[in-house]
Amino acid sequence: MMLTYLRLYSPVLDRSSTPGSSAVASKTRCEYVPVRSAPPSMAPHGFGNHRGAASDFAGSRRLRFKRLGEGISLWLAVLLMLFVHPLYAEANEADNVGELHFVDGQGQWQEPALVLDSEFEIRVSGLIADSRLLRSFRNTSDQWREGVFVFPLPEKASVYGLTMKVGERTIEGKVQPKETARRTYEKAKQAGQHAANVEQQRPDLFTARVANIPPGETVSVELKYQQPVQYQAGVFELTVPTTLTPRYMPGAPVRSAPDQWQGGWALPTTEVPDASAISPFTVNPTDVATDSHRASIELVIDSGLPLESVSSPSHRLASRQDGQTFSVSPEGGEILMNRDFVVRWRPVAGLEPSAAVFHQSWQGEDYLMAMLVPGDNGSMVLPRDLVFVIDTSGSMAGESIRQARSALQAGLDTLTPRDRFNVIQFNSQTHSLFMQPEVATGNNLARARQYVDRLRADGGTEMASALSRALDSGVETEAGARVRQVIFITDGAVGNEAALFRQIRDQLGSQRLFTVAIGSAPNRHFMREAARWGRGTYTAIQSPSDVDGPLQALFSAMESPVLTDIRVNWPGQETGREAFPARPGDLFQGEPLIHVVRGVPAMGELKVSGRLPGGQDWNRTLDLQQAASATGLHRHWAREKIDSLEDEAKVAGREPNRAGITGLAVKHGLMSAYTSFVAVDSTPARSTETPMVSDNLPTLLPAGSQAGMLRYPQTATSAPLLIALGVVGLMFSLALVLLQRRAFA
Amino acid sequence: MTRLLLLLLTSSATLLVFGLWIPLKAVIAQELLEMAWAESQARQTELRPWPWADTWPVGRLAIPELNDSMIVLADTHGESLAFGPGRLTGGDNTGGAVIIAGHRDTHFRSLKALETGNEVRLQALDGRWQSYLVEGARVVDSRSELIDTQSLPEGTLLLVTCYPFDSVDTGGPLRYVVRASARGKQTEQIDTVAGI
Repeated sequence: MMLTYLRLYSPVLDRSSTPGSSAVASKTRCEYVPVRSAPPSMAPHGFGNHRGAASDFAGSRRLRFKRLGEGISLWLAVLLMLFVHPLYAEANEADNVGELHFVDGQGQWQEPALVLDSEFEIRVSGLIADSRLLRSFRNTSDQWREGVFVFPLPEKASVYGLTMKVGERTIEGKVQPKETARRTYEKAKQAGQHAANVEQQRPDLFTARVANIPPGETVSVELKYQQPVQYQAGVFELTVPTTLTPRYMPGAPVRSAPDQWQGGWALPTTEVPDASAISPFTVNPTDVATDSHRASIELVIDSGLPLESVSSPSHRLASRQDGQTFSVSPEGGEILMNRDFVVRWRPVAGLEPSAAVFHQSWQGEDYLMAMLVPGDNGSMVLPRDLVFVIDTSGSMAGESIRQARSALQAGLDTLTPRDRFNVIQFNSQTHSLFMQPEVATGNNLARARQYVDRLRADGGTEMASALSRALDSGVETEAGARVRQVIFITDGAVGNEAALFRQIRDQLGSQRLFTVAIGSAPNRHFMREAARWGRGTYTAIQSPSDVDGPLQALFSAMESPVLTDIRVNWPGQETGREAFPARPGDLFQGEPLIHVVRGVPAMGELKVSGRLPGGQDWNRTLDLQQAASATGLHRHWAREKIDSLEDEAKVAGREPNRAGITGLAVKHGLMSAYTSFVAVDSTPARSTETPMVSDNLPTLLPAGSQAGMLRYPQTATSAPLLIALGVVGLMFSLALVLLQRRAFA
Repeated sequence: MTRLLLLLLTSSATLLVFGLWIPLKAVIAQELLEMAWAESQARQTELRPWPWADTWPVGRLAIPELNDSMIVLADTHGESLAFGPGRLTGGDNTGGAVIIAGHRDTHFRSLKALETGNEVRLQALDGRWQSYLVEGARVVDSRSELIDTQSLPEGTLLLVTCYPFDSVDTGGPLRYVVRASARGKQTEQIDTVAGI
């Protein structure tokens, strides 16, 4: 709908702006003269009264007053005319404006007609969370509608099912190659059949399309997806994203066909060709219907461990305990979809799992998933070169930049006089505090604190130059003696993720990149992958009160040595065995190693070895016979395999193995970059003559952030209203006064 | 009866005074701002026009065709729009587009008379005038459209005010947006004299 406005407005310029208003102005001038000449012609009235009561002195004085009063009221009448006239003019003008553009056939303002409702049902068992997401599109208009909604899912989600619900009927969706699915959907849409299509735009960003929603009715789309639960430093964490931060699209706009239908606010650019598909309009919660964009969340945690606490840094929780099973939902029922829902749970102290194995057999094949926590290996602190990179782009404005500043200040606190550091900020341009890393003396730290306090968020997100500056600024003279680390504090609101990953890989060298995600809805996919390519870790901060905990974990992880050169040996022969991740990255303090394999039965021992920072070897074995049975492992494995295929292509700089990924996704019933879900009802619901309108549903502005898109300010004063009211009131009272006088006289 | 009348009379008079005070304030404030602007140009610094002001002059906007000129203030928050049009973004070496918003009843009343091809000039703190040519104007609905500052090309000037111009509704959703584009950087002499 927004788009209709955008498009329709442009013609307004030429038609109603200048010519229209100048016509009004000239009219005003024409009528001004006759009105002004009115007083003389009305004067006889006054004289008439004068003649009738000229006998005594007091009377004549009163008369003079009266005459004065009448004169004043007449002039006021003139003034009033002047003020009232524009009101008429405005009324006429407003009609024109309405007729031209803003009003639909029924003379109604075109508000978005679809009301969106979401229900999450999440079940956590072991290390995998299985979710059912029901999105309902309720059509409140009296026209047929198509709903298009861009939404985020957890960054490691594997979508494996789509069901469309129309009234009592349910239609199962099928996995098809992306183009085929889209064609199927478009055909069904033209034919008037109920149809739904869900496509992946980014690994964590999806588009749902629902065609032929009857007037006054609801069509629901149910998505099934699973995600691995994050486990770090003895705390499990699960994130349910609800909205996305508008992303910055670097590059020059590609103005292809100007008439082409567009769903987003951003034009495709040279670096982000699909910009319009990942840039839904972002609006304030007050701009959608009062019951739209709400989500109910029901989370069941069945971790098989005695839990000490379940908490959320983002929302207040209402939780119920039943043995070892916790049922959690947000307090007060539905939540507004403007902030990611994050739940953390902590096993009873001392009972934190340090190893776990899960097993599933699917279609005659064995899948195993193992988790191993290396544990505390003592520490050996090396002097560091620490480069803080802070995002001060427009998308960080508001709460985000405050969080980022306090995160940076906390980072500065961890520096010792042996360390060297630098602070780099970037928006459209990159600017650094020092030319090169300086020793963390009190003086330098004080300068840095001042610099950080003055950071303001504004402008674009040109991340590439900041990354180069951070990764290249190292003086490689004392290689080995110092640990070089880059802390990257941002909301990751960019559209050119792939290019940035490539850059990190190319420029990294011996350094490590740690990412800290800021804001209510950061681009978690980018943050996690950037840290992975940068051989570091990723930390998310949910709210200002949440800065300390995660950051302390990060800084202690950064100080502690890592387990490197990790080798995972599954038992049995090599053939038919495929394990992911193929090359496990380095592990930091408190981080678990998670490995998934196909083709290994639950027998024998898993051997894991690595090297500690001092150079000693580290070995651990895991008995596979104790594996607990689980579901969804094959999907997790398939998703890992797809990711690794895409990684390989990125490293080699070529197109990913399209056929391989498609085949894998279809076999495991998964959504991927090349496959999507489509569901079509066989019987047509809408006759092809009845028109259908397409609605692009907006997403909500993440809580606490300021719109990168500016809102038009309020630019009217109450002066005309006050003046008009005052003049009318004065006129009225003077008229009353005169009447009274006349009655007495 | 007489008391009622008196009450009506005084309340209407008060309303009228308040109503007239707004344009009067706009005119007086501009006079004070002129002085502050001259001084801040001379000292090359941001200067508050009166001690308790929460804003300061950042530029001068001139429309030669309409023989109109006014001081532009930083930001549009609070009461600042009552004193002069406010600059939302841009200017001062930050690059990007410049967006200025003003009250339709006072300073930006003349915006409706701007026509395509007219010249609008903007003076920065360093005294340089930047000339813009009006590309066109359009009416937007602020409920459904936002200003995407990132997609506006460098050297764009947007002048925003409420629409329709003669409405008495202070909370209307429509805005009148004049778009102008820079016409090459021009350097001219500082034509204001320091008034310290």
